[in-house]
Amino acid sequence: MAFSATTTIDSGIAKITMAGQLDASMAPVFQREVENAEAQKVKRLVLLMSELEYISSAGLRALVFAKQKMGRGVDLYVVGAQPQVMDTIRMTGFDRSVIALDTYDAGIIENI
Amino acid sequence: MKPSTVPATLDSLGAIAEYVMAAAASAGLDKRASYRLRLAVDEIATNIIVHGHTKAGLQGALELRADIDDRTLTLAIEDTGIAYDPRQAPVPDTSLPLEQRPIGGLGVYLAMKSVDEFLYERVGDRNRSTFKMHLSSAPIEEEGRA
Repeated sequence: MAFSATTTIDSGIAKITMAGQLDASMAPVFQREVENAEAQKVKRLVLLMSELEYISSAGLRALVFAKQKMGRGVDLYVVGAQPQVMDTIRMTGFDRSVIALDTYDAGIIENI
Repeated sequence: MKPSTVPATLDSLGAIAEYVMAAAASAGLDKRASYRLRLAVDEIATNIIVHGHTKAGLQGALELRADIDDRTLTLAIEDTGIAYDPRQAPVPDTSLPLEQRPIGGLGVYLAMKSVDEFLYERVGDRNRSTFKMHLSSAPIEEEGRA
């Protein structure tokens, strides 16, 4: 059972590539990446989720934290989430606060 | 399935997930139902570990047990942490934007919504949390009986 998160930041856009299983034992790994992006004062936070197989509320809490720290001006994108992961995001109502895309769309995301 | 006992630490969540997914496979649950059962058990196990043990200064174990019959997959967790009935947790307002959300409360909410039935009992010094998933009847068997 493993989880990884790697961040690249370029032109005010932070992209976090998430892979594996994000449960409470792995949430601190994701939280660190989110905090790192927040500290860089990015304008967009993009979560690349196509390799993410599982997310629990512990992972979702990091998103609440991100949104609260970064404020209204920062858009949060969820890209390529698997159906079960998207179900969980919908059940919590988070889909109303994030922009969900099937694939990475530079025309939308990089249009700052 | 053979019961399994794991220490009440977050490092056990991986082993708990493996146990649940093996039970879901034995019962023939589909991918979506398997995921939801895993989510519910993971959330409640996390609560038992964090609130029932670690934050209460207690050490202990979670005993997992899965029973499968024709109609139902029943998965139970027993522990000796502090008593807590997740059914009494306040329901979070999922219509609020993330900026206005309290940090906690989502896990229990997800767990309650994800399984067909959830039961909690305090028996002596033990908590028993029970998750049930209804198994859809297999069409081939139905035809065979007709």
